[in-house]
Amino acid sequence: MERRITEHPILGTIEKGRKVSFTYDGKTVEGYEGEPVAEALKALGVMVHRYTTKKHRPRGIFCAIGRCTDCVMVVDGVPNTRTCITSVREGMTVETQVGVVPASQVKDTVLKGGIMA
Amino acid sequence: MKRYDLVIVGAGPSGLSAAIEAAGYGMKTVVYDENSRPGGQLFKQIHKFFGSKEHHAKIRGFRIGEELLQEASAAGVEVQLESTVTGIYEDKEVTVQRKGHIEHVKGDTIIVATGASENMVPFGGWDLPGVIGAGAAQTMMNLHGVKPGEKVLMLGSGNVGLVVSFQLMQAGCEVVALVDAAPAIGGYGVHAAKLARCGVPFYMSHTITKAEGTDHVTGVVISQVNEKFQKIPGTEKHFDADTICVAVGLSPMSQLLKMSGCTMSDDPKRGGQVPETDEYGETSVSGVYAAGDVSGIEEASSAMIEGRISGTRAAYEMGFVSEEDEIKELTKLKNDLLSLRRGMFAPGNKGKKIEKTEEGINVSQNLLTKGYLSEAEIFRYPGICRKKGLHPVIECSQNIPCNPCQDACKFSCINVGKDITSLPVVNPLAKCSGCGMCVASCSGQAIFLVDEDYDETGASVTLPYEFFPLPRVGDQGYARNRAGEIVCKAEVISVKSSPAYDRTNLLTIRVPKDMAMKARFYADRAETKAETAGGAV
Amino acid sequence: MNEVNDRSRDIGPFIPGPDDDMIICRCEEITRGEIRRAVHDGMFTITEIRRYLRCGMGLCQGQTCAKLVKSIVAGESGAAPGTLEPATSRAPMRPVEMQILADEM
Repeated sequence: MERRITEHPILGTIEKGRKVSFTYDGKTVEGYEGEPVAEALKALGVMVHRYTTKKHRPRGIFCAIGRCTDCVMVVDGVPNTRTCITSVREGMTVETQVGVVPASQVKDTVLKGGIMA
Repeated sequence: MKRYDLVIVGAGPSGLSAAIEAAGYGMKTVVYDENSRPGGQLFKQIHKFFGSKEHHAKIRGFRIGEELLQEASAAGVEVQLESTVTGIYEDKEVTVQRKGHIEHVKGDTIIVATGASENMVPFGGWDLPGVIGAGAAQTMMNLHGVKPGEKVLMLGSGNVGLVVSFQLMQAGCEVVALVDAAPAIGGYGVHAAKLARCGVPFYMSHTITKAEGTDHVTGVVISQVNEKFQKIPGTEKHFDADTICVAVGLSPMSQLLKMSGCTMSDDPKRGGQVPETDEYGETSVSGVYAAGDVSGIEEASSAMIEGRISGTRAAYEMGFVSEEDEIKELTKLKNDLLSLRRGMFAPGNKGKKIEKTEEGINVSQNLLTKGYLSEAEIFRYPGICRKKGLHPVIECSQNIPCNPCQDACKFSCINVGKDITSLPVVNPLAKCSGCGMCVASCSGQAIFLVDEDYDETGASVTLPYEFFPLPRVGDQGYARNRAGEIVCKAEVISVKSSPAYDRTNLLTIRVPKDMAMKARFYADRAETKAETAGGAV
Repeated sequence: MNEVNDRSRDIGPFIPGPDDDMIICRCEEITRGEIRRAVHDGMFTITEIRRYLRCGMGLCQGQTCAKLVKSIVAGESGAAPGTLEPATSRAPMRPVEMQILADEM
């Protein structure tokens, strides 16, 4: 399934920055420099950006302009980073956020039960 | 502390317009915007705008944005991006979060042009990934070239819901249904008709019961609602969808104005909390203005004029322009604004049920509930006539402030008149050259060229086409009617693209003679989406 | 808004509803039922509801839920939505890290 639009009937060829690599939950993935992290992840098919603190609900892109803060993830170690307005850079690390910590720091059993419930 | 003659908050259509005027009069002007690009929502608008020449009619939103930016840089406007105004205090002191600091600046005047935020409606699972705002969909597909989803259900039939649905299809997504709790479509009928003829089903008096899925949206259930907007049990319908797009209106983002001490009021017609202003946008706090959506939700075209009015007025108040020049300029701007605020969709008509057009013609109920004019209704409108040979058929049935079709025709075939909200009239005596400029200039894509005498057995229909892949001459496909149903076979006999058409391609199809007033869209395959979607639960 | 908010008025008992577990404030994960119950606990204004439940006080600062909370409180307390004063507007208008907020220049 191609999620990127390469030729658009009105916008023509969509111009992008250079291709760069970054890590998403430990895996090396590619995006285009300058585009928001959320868009790069969307193009890769990532839907869940984080799990909420209280009810452990999955959340993803909602407003895409930095208002709703639903798409926050741990970026370069900083939690609550709004991925929709943070640009992709070569070598950056992006991690799914659980509560306010990276998913990798949460034990699986806790993940299932919902943390800090 | 830095001092400016004018501090503008927001580099969208109204903020930039205000800055252009003020800087043009010599005011030291700064515009702050929290985003990394200026232009606000204009660069997400890829459709042609309505209005008259003065309102940038038939120009696509993002091109208007480019023009504004050029004008602003020529006027010497200082635009500071990634700069969030965090507060407005006494004596017009402004705090700006910028480059990791908080800066204090002082403006002798301030124009707040912060725009609006999207409204939401909660339903079961509305926080699941895959439920997005209409603005988010536009940001993804029109700014970043990423599809929001494959199968999208749109909630909301206002202009945003209608326009974004069409844009989703242009991006290559499928719109499985357009749903609204209201009994009648809220946006322009011409926008709805573009969707209906592509086969998008409208579900008015329906709302979303729940979004299905565990980690992200996999389906949607909708139900019918009664007059009190309560769900009617047993009316549930299921759709496969990976995305739910919500377009249920906007609210002015007026918190900064409230904080600065402006007298506010709650005005549902203007979208919520708005400042009380005079005709120039000046609030109860002297020297603090509000322009654009923050002072009441309208179109970008009006926001630009409001910005220019406030910018000019601020320049006058600060002594940068003479009273004579100010009056001349403001009179012109106010007239431009007034002409936009007329017609069926004028701010004053919000929530009103309109039965007749200004010409006294009954409004199409079919258009309001199903999104298209029924065949029985079309002949009552003055843009529709049948005659020998090639001629335009204008399926424009609502009084919208818009007249590019009149300017497009060099042969006086189309007349809107002085009042730009009037329905276009086709002159049956004028000769149509078939240039197609009217078809391409209609922002509502409501103009078709019809020739019922194309050959012995067939008629030709020329229609606006803004999708990829573009059909090719000789393609054998099918024609859809206004409802999006496949009605007959169709052969593509001409495909015209021209810089003058601005990416609206003119597709001419040959259909059987009796289909000349029915065939309104082309499909390469015979399936209709309406038949495949919307199963019972 | 000049009308007196009569706190002694009888708004009836709290009746559980089918949508009570629906999230309204996405940031702080406050449900419709919690907001409705808060009104019955005596929170008749938006300010009180915010302080009591924290709805609208999360990262997005009520950008998404403010109107929704208002209509629920109005519906439950019997007040016209237009008479409910919205939450106080304060700086900073957007979430700001403390180290930035403290770094004034």
